Amino acid sequence: MARRAPAVAVGVGTLALPPLLSGSHLTVYILLGLAVMVTVGLSLLMGYAGQVSLGQASFYAIGGYTAGLLSVHSLPPVLGLLAAPLVSAAFAVVVGIPLLRLRGHHLAFATLAMQLILLSLVARADWAGGAIGLQGIPRLSVGGYEFADDISYAYLVWAAVVLTLLVARNIVASRPGRGLRALASGETAAAASGVPVGRYRLAVFALSAAFAGLAGGIYAFYLGYLAPGSFPVLLSIEYVVMAVVGGLGTLWGALVGATAIILLVQVLNTLGTQPGMPGYAPSVLSYAVYAVLLVLVVIFLPHGIVPAVRARLTRRASSGAV
Amino acid sequence: MREFLQYLITGVGSGCVFALVGSGLVVVHRVTRVVNFAQGSFAVIAAMTASTLLASGLPHGLAEASAVAVGAGAGLLVGLVAIGRPGTPPGASLIITLGLAVFAYAVEVLIWGDQPRSFAGVPGAVEFGGVRFQAHYLLIIGATAVVFAGTAALFARTDIGRALSACASNPYAARVVGIDIVRMGLLSFGIGGALGGLAGVLVTPIQLVTFDYDVTLIVGGFAAAVFGGLMRPLHTLVGGLLLGVAQSFVAGYGNAAYQMEVALVLLLAVMMRQAARAPAAEQEPA
Amino acid sequence: MIDVVDLTVRYGVAVALHAVNLTVAEGEMVALIGPNGAGKSTLVNTLSGIQRPAGGTVSISGRLAHVPEGRQVFPDLTVDDNLRLGGWRIRNRDTGPIYEILPGLTPLRRRRAGRLSGGEQQMVAVGRALMARPEVLAVDELSLGLAPLVVADLVRHLRELNADHGLAVLLIEQNARLALDLCSRGYVLEAGRVVAAGTAAELAASPRVADAYLGVAG
Ligand SMILES: Nc1ncnc2c1ncn2[C@@H]1O[C@H](COP(=O)(O)OP(=O)(O)OP(=O)(O)O)[C@@H](O)[C@H]1O
Ligand SMILES: [Mg+2]
Repeated sequence: MARRAPAVAVGVGTLALPPLLSGSHLTVYILLGLAVMVTVGLSLLMGYAGQVSLGQASFYAIGGYTAGLLSVHSLPPVLGLLAAPLVSAAFAVVVGIPLLRLRGHHLAFATLAMQLILLSLVARADWAGGAIGLQGIPRLSVGGYEFADDISYAYLVWAAVVLTLLVARNIVASRPGRGLRALASGETAAAASGVPVGRYRLAVFALSAAFAGLAGGIYAFYLGYLAPGSFPVLLSIEYVVMAVVGGLGTLWGALVGATAIILLVQVLNTLGTQPGMPGYAPSVLSYAVYAVLLVLVVIFLPHGIVPAVRARLTRRASSGAV
Repeated sequence: MREFLQYLITGVGSGCVFALVGSGLVVVHRVTRVVNFAQGSFAVIAAMTASTLLASGLPHGLAEASAVAVGAGAGLLVGLVAIGRPGTPPGASLIITLGLAVFAYAVEVLIWGDQPRSFAGVPGAVEFGGVRFQAHYLLIIGATAVVFAGTAALFARTDIGRALSACASNPYAARVVGIDIVRMGLLSFGIGGALGGLAGVLVTPIQLVTFDYDVTLIVGGFAAAVFGGLMRPLHTLVGGLLLGVAQSFVAGYGNAAYQMEVALVLLLAVMMRQAARAPAAEQEPA
Repeated sequence: MIDVVDLTVRYGVAVALHAVNLTVAEGEMVALIGPNGAGKSTLVNTLSGIQRPAGGTVSISGRLAHVPEGRQVFPDLTVDDNLRLGGWRIRNRDTGPIYEILPGLTPLRRRRAGRLSGGEQQMVAVGRALMARPEVLAVDELSLGLAPLVVADLVRHLRELNADHGLAVLLIEQNARLALDLCSRGYVLEAGRVVAAGTAAELAASPRVADAYLGVAG
């Protein structure tokens, strides 16, 4: 029970937060939740399957476009939301079968290529709004209830984050999850001990895509508008930064990493848009913060913030005991 | 026929640029096993530097040479961060160079803003087989030929080239014979920076360069380098030329908007083919 | 030649060598034997400067070359390029004399070292070390995984180098019989400490060594 206490506290705390937040802070809350969902998947992929993906934003985009396209064609929005993670995961399976034969930097570049191709296809697809974007996406409604204001989206995101974390936690603790952990500690050893390495890698890839897809679906309804430019390569890199900074392969790491980066960038954004600051200040500051954090963490805390803090706490606890 | 020749020459020109970026990747990878994601940034930094120096009145030649030197310096700095700490695994170094590529955005936008830059190259036009093209293409082709001959000779014929290759071939044995592998790694990053810088100053007269042009360059350069397994400079040259010419034909006979896709599809195809031939265990780990 | 005084080496918190003392005189052949994990390779790595001492001193007069454990050639380079790199530190590029000392390498000079047999690779590693024109050679596990005939050939070369060129040798071996046959003196290293030292004859006669390393029953 005591081990669950921090999770419960964070859960309750964040649940109580939305009514206390003003408009722009509520937006940050929602975008942060969406980032956490994508980062949880990426963190599993990088931490357990040992694969860098520089194209995670493409799954986010696919989820968004799936939800958006279905609902602008007057299907019930809730169907769009349900389809978003499924279509993203299906896409991940289809591209993953060939791509996951690659490793390391080859896979990194392949996922980057996947995203660039996807972006330019979308930009040229008139049925998806082309480069201008997909407009007029209705608000999400379930049954008779319409998610109309930001607070309702905040709660929707909260629930989606909890769902993501629960699914991820159960998978990590399950039997295939233990196989995944074997995967993390060395593929050859895992294969030798009978773990179906290829299938697991594909499954994690699809799962990470499903999380990103669900996040993208919510994003579409929240904003009501999507364009290829909303999903740049830099967004994929941001997710990598969040996952690495928090600590790969840990759910808390994804949570902490995404929160730290989003809040920091938010603060810098506020600073950068002060009167008197040059117009490029916000982008310069955010590039710098991604870069500096990523590099510092990789060099000085190679396992990320959360594992480092945990190690320190256990050390203190065990030295306190003697 | 005239069109064909025209497209061929333009393609060879941009292929040379990809090959130069790719050769920078190869030099660094050969020595350190790191894939340097910041390789495209060296080109952008050098291009921007050259445009500033030229605008401030420095003569052609001197301005470009100084910009290449700045590229080399940037390469050295990236190397210091990426491999300066002994024991950093190549996978971590990849992430570090990715971070530094983003950092380069901050620096570039801060110094040069986010508008595209260009400057004039070799003036005039040349006629060949009935087609006229910018004389600057001759400089691109000539410089690339010289650089690749030099790189090949460096690795094949010089002691320092052997020592550079030895570092990644067997780092422990390299230390046993007294090779300082960190210094060699830094040297390779410096060379990589200069090669990227050269690509940047050569491409700017035929192509507007913005701060995020590094993505195009790194994708093209990586596609070229993958052709040679990230190890062989001459294969990289061939890969770069094939890519440049393929893009130019697609743009000329088809749709100019699909140029990037040509590079991406080629990149994926080459990697898939290599993965099909080599079992996964032999590829580089993450 | 080699003078190691109170040498301590650590890997993080683990201590690999505790106050080890060892000398090798000019032209002498000295054996260093001990079980797996005793710290033998750590000692040679410290001698050749790859590992930093945590305490004590290492002084070496004259040039030392190192044949590392496990046939560490440069697999992608040719035999000749492997040899040349052996002369990196002293800028010696002349591989000719090596082919005279180790004629077995001559037909292999253009082959890639990674494609050679284990014995051939070990020969390359010895030749590469000789390129540094050493006055003392530290050989880490000469015989590891090699057929007896190949080992005998390598041993013959070491003897010749010692007799004809006055090359001092520090020979690390699991095969204690071979080491004590070849060398005049020896040390026994266990768990990072020198537990026995003396002439080869003394060591071979000591029950402790006979028991643990020569396989002579009680
Ligand atoms: N790079 C390293 N990092 C941490 N510990 C190490 C390292 N190298 C060796 N060790 C440890 O130091 C101790 C001595 O190792 P060393 O390789 O010197 O033994 P050795 O006598 O050469 O053994 P072997 O006969 O198996 O080659 C061992 O416990 C080993 O685990
Ligand atoms: Mg050893």
